[in-house]
Amino acid sequence: MKRLFTILLLVLSLTSYSQCVSNQSYTITPAGPYQPGDVVTVNYTLGTFTQLNINWIIAFQINLGAGWTNPQPIITPGNPGGSAGYWMWDLQNTYPSGLNFGPGWRFVNTGFNPDWGTGSTGPFTMGFNVTVDQTCTPDNLSISMNVIGDCLTGGWNNGACCSDPAYNIYNGVVQIPPIITSNINHY
Amino acid sequence: MKKILTVLLVSIGITSFAQTTINPDTVCVNAVGEQYFVTNTPTSTYQWTITGGGTLQTGQGSNSITVDWGAVGGLYPNAVEVIESNAAGCPGSPVLIDVFVLDLSGNPIGPFCTGDPTTTLVGNPAGGTWTGTGVVANAFQPSSAGVGNYVLTYSMAGCTTTINVVVNSGPVTGPIQHY
Repeated sequence: MKRLFTILLLVLSLTSYSQCVSNQSYTITPAGPYQPGDVVTVNYTLGTFTQLNINWIIAFQINLGAGWTNPQPIITPGNPGGSAGYWMWDLQNTYPSGLNFGPGWRFVNTGFNPDWGTGSTGPFTMGFNVTVDQTCTPDNLSISMNVIGDCLTGGWNNGACCSDPAYNIYNGVVQIPPIITSNINHY
Repeated sequence: MKKILTVLLVSIGITSFAQTTINPDTVCVNAVGEQYFVTNTPTSTYQWTITGGGTLQTGQGSNSITVDWGAVGGLYPNAVEVIESNAAGCPGSPVLIDVFVLDLSGNPIGPFCTGDPTTTLVGNPAGGTWTGTGVVANAFQPSSAGVGNYVLTYSMAGCTTTINVVVNSGPVTGPIQHY
């Protein structure tokens, strides 16, 4: 009985951490570490989005550490076999659920909050540039992605897998180049 | 000819970049337009601070400045300071140089008569070089100079000062007569 309970907990645990998203991958160029002013290109692919309880995908949230600035879209996700609407790049949006979104892409059906996302299951490939901000301190340069279903945004209240964990892309801090001044010379 | 000129220009360039000023730096009192510089990083800015009686004239913010020095001689520790900041505004460590403001003087001599003996010339601080009419081995020989007014120059470390010397003719004594 005890063993059965343990197995049940294990299954529940696995399910809750990876219910909707699978086959994620990324590229990041150039490779780190990074200095102020460096521009980095990230390409991210979500291979499959599994809809549980008709929970549709509605947004890709980019999580950036404090050392990054100026995220810019370069590849917009596709919508293979999906619902009417489009992926919109947005720096900030507050969903009816109170979820504070941005930067990233969010699916717009009608432009009215709450939208309900797309019925597409992927694959979704997207890309963006982001710049290391000017700083004198080793600020956080983490990058991760969250895939958001409409059960998180207020568009659907019967979904599941509403809390897939963030997908980590980069961990590091700003490398501060040393300032080396030559000796003073006098003509 | 063009190639020779190019090589010459390259040599001058290398020489100027390789120059290293010995600490303390030496300047003359009341020197104007003295140029100080550090190797330039194009994205950096440079904050200079001048003490010791100097005044920054041009170039604040850049890697090269000009300074006018004052009239009071002496050794001034850390008289020239520069702090480089990178594009993000992060400051580096201060770089400093002491400055010795050299105030030369020469002890006055004379007036002389042409027959007077050689007189040693004294400059302050010691160690410089005297030049001018009648000067031999840092000493003045009135007989060599002859009658006249002379300007003698005392030089050290690129600085100079002068003194004026007068050599008069001696009395002309006639032959001894016997009444």
